[in-house]
Amino acid sequence: MQNYLIRTIRPTAAASFLLIIVGLIFSGQALSMDQHTWSEQEKAIIRSLSIEALGPLPVDPSNRYSDNPQAAALGKKLFFEDHFSGNMKVSCATCHREDYTFTDNLPLSHGMDTTPRRSMPLIGVAYNSWFFWDGRSDSLWSQALGPIENKLEHGISRTMSAYIISKFYRKEYEELFGPLPDFMEETFPQHARPALDDPDALKAWVLMTPEQREVVNRIYVNMGKSIAAFVRTIMPQPSPFDRYVKQILSGENISSRMALNNDETAGLRLFVGKAKCTNCHNGPLFTNSDFHNIGLPQKVKGEPDKGRAAAITQVLSSEFNCLGQYSDAHPNECPELRFIDTSHKKYVGAFKTPTLRNVAERPPYMHAGQLATLREVLEFYRSQAQNPELSHGNLTDKELDQLEAFLHALSSPITSFQADSK
Amino acid sequence: MKRGLFVIVVLFLLLAGCAAKEEQTSGPIEEMAEGHGHGDVKITKHFDESLTLLTDNNLFSLEMVVPGKQLSMGVNTIEIIVHHATGGDVPQAELTVTPWMPSMGHGVMQKTVVTERGGGLYSVNNVVLSMTGHWQLQVKVVKGDKEDTAVFEFPEVKAMGHEHAMMHAPPPKDLDYSTVKTTPNDAFNVMYKSIGGQIRMNRIHSWELTIKDAAGQPVNDAMVTVVGDMPEHGHGLPTQPEITKVGADGLYRVDGMKFTMPGWWIVTISVMANGMHDSVSFNLNIL
Repeated sequence: MQNYLIRTIRPTAAASFLLIIVGLIFSGQALSMDQHTWSEQEKAIIRSLSIEALGPLPVDPSNRYSDNPQAAALGKKLFFEDHFSGNMKVSCATCHREDYTFTDNLPLSHGMDTTPRRSMPLIGVAYNSWFFWDGRSDSLWSQALGPIENKLEHGISRTMSAYIISKFYRKEYEELFGPLPDFMEETFPQHARPALDDPDALKAWVLMTPEQREVVNRIYVNMGKSIAAFVRTIMPQPSPFDRYVKQILSGENISSRMALNNDETAGLRLFVGKAKCTNCHNGPLFTNSDFHNIGLPQKVKGEPDKGRAAAITQVLSSEFNCLGQYSDAHPNECPELRFIDTSHKKYVGAFKTPTLRNVAERPPYMHAGQLATLREVLEFYRSQAQNPELSHGNLTDKELDQLEAFLHALSSPITSFQADSK
Repeated sequence: MKRGLFVIVVLFLLLAGCAAKEEQTSGPIEEMAEGHGHGDVKITKHFDESLTLLTDNNLFSLEMVVPGKQLSMGVNTIEIIVHHATGGDVPQAELTVTPWMPSMGHGVMQKTVVTERGGGLYSVNNVVLSMTGHWQLQVKVVKGDKEDTAVFEFPEVKAMGHEHAMMHAPPPKDLDYSTVKTTPNDAFNVMYKSIGGQIRMNRIHSWELTIKDAAGQPVNDAMVTVVGDMPEHGHGLPTQPEITKVGADGLYRVDGMKFTMPGWWIVTISVMANGMHDSVSFNLNIL
């Protein structure tokens, strides 16, 4: 019987060998084709992540200067201005470094002192609805004003800001916003602000006349609006991932020519599929701009950081919100504030989903820099498999490698307003 | 189902006699009612799943039946059985039920509607809880010259649908994604439409609702609540939508809808009008 089998096989051995070779070639090709073959549904999701789906910069109705190039030029200077600090050493750029994708490399940012949270990435920030990790501002211009009066960050006051503007930026300011008064110590105190953490500055603020306070607030707000006009131009450029999207949408599938290698492509497949990363990291900036408590360990000693829960009343009561007197928006143009979810309990320890564009370029990670590397982040998510909000499937080590590779493919150069550009 | 239970209860009362409080071997469970004063009294519960409480001056003991044992934000219906503290049911009592939010120091605009169903059983309709959080139901009982009150505590009222939400439920196959539905008790027909076409993720947008009654007539003066929920993740909408009556053609406008996650969402629309309330859930697949 055995003999018979061998005998019958032998004449076809050569053919079999040939078949195997041909099979190998075909399966190799099939593999590469499979690798870059996506269902219509997957293609739709992938297209929605592409930078081409981003659309023009959203209008900020609360800031009528947001697309004014002169305001952006002034805002850029203010962004890098060290004078806006208690020690003349801290500018916005201290924690939002141009050479570090407009954030910094510290777990907890350091201005005048160490803050309780990490610096936020600024790329594509104009597309957000809420600002800061907890969304305690509803516009980029009001966000820009927060750190100036924060003791741990710039550590000065709005009156001091007005002094600095009038001394160093009078011409540019007046061209945009009209005449500035003279700031002299006899008429305006240097350190006055409506702060609850600085009784002297608060007292000085209260002793000013309502007209004086209005003058200072206007200057302070215009300063914020100028900085916002600059910051909103900080944008990511097409990444290897975006080039890959173009390729698959045009039907290209030759492995050697694709913008993503095999690991990166496998990572993308996990990202939009099994690992469900797009639950929160969706849209062209890979964020839903919403707030989630993902169960991170508390980094700073002392009171737990309540995150969004504490920010809801802050943004609602802010004099600089979209519905306030310094906003240029019609009340109808403030839907986020109008429909804000005030279920405070739902947001205890919740922080904003950050963009993943250029994420590989800016360790450490999470709102208080709890995790040092992308790998740690992926490991953390894998460890949270029981959390329905974070169920990322049972990912293998190999799959974590692939996801990590994909995240690296989201890096791109960054552009921002240049004085000579339009 | 509920009616069946009620029939069984009535039958039981007829057979056993409600005053026979020693009779406790089958069906009803005897337990200590939680009272504020001293001298807790044993009562015979008619429902296994009910909450029991002795009134403040120990005059009555109350049994409250809440579907799922938990009230939700929105419109709720409960049932209350009033017993004498010593046993025996209390028919023809005057019952007042008031929702109260102790931390906020406020109640709600909507009045509850109490209907006596006989045998000491009272249905309480239109228990409207306007937000999530800690609520109390204050129950006042007046029977003849006797008057007493009790306060039921609901420490964690959640948005509707959360008890199933936390189970991380995957979407069932062949989900009904229709945008027009009749409420389960056939009280209303509800249609929703996203103004401005297809719903886009992460965008605040508005809906238009059309509500009709069982006869197909537009309902223009309903109290409507809209609650969104994501069963796979156990959370609701990231916004608090507002509902405005258009005042004609059964139209209502819902502003402030927003979905921040792709996948299966359930939007539950509760309607209270013409002395009836009913709610209907729509499935959505957000991409």
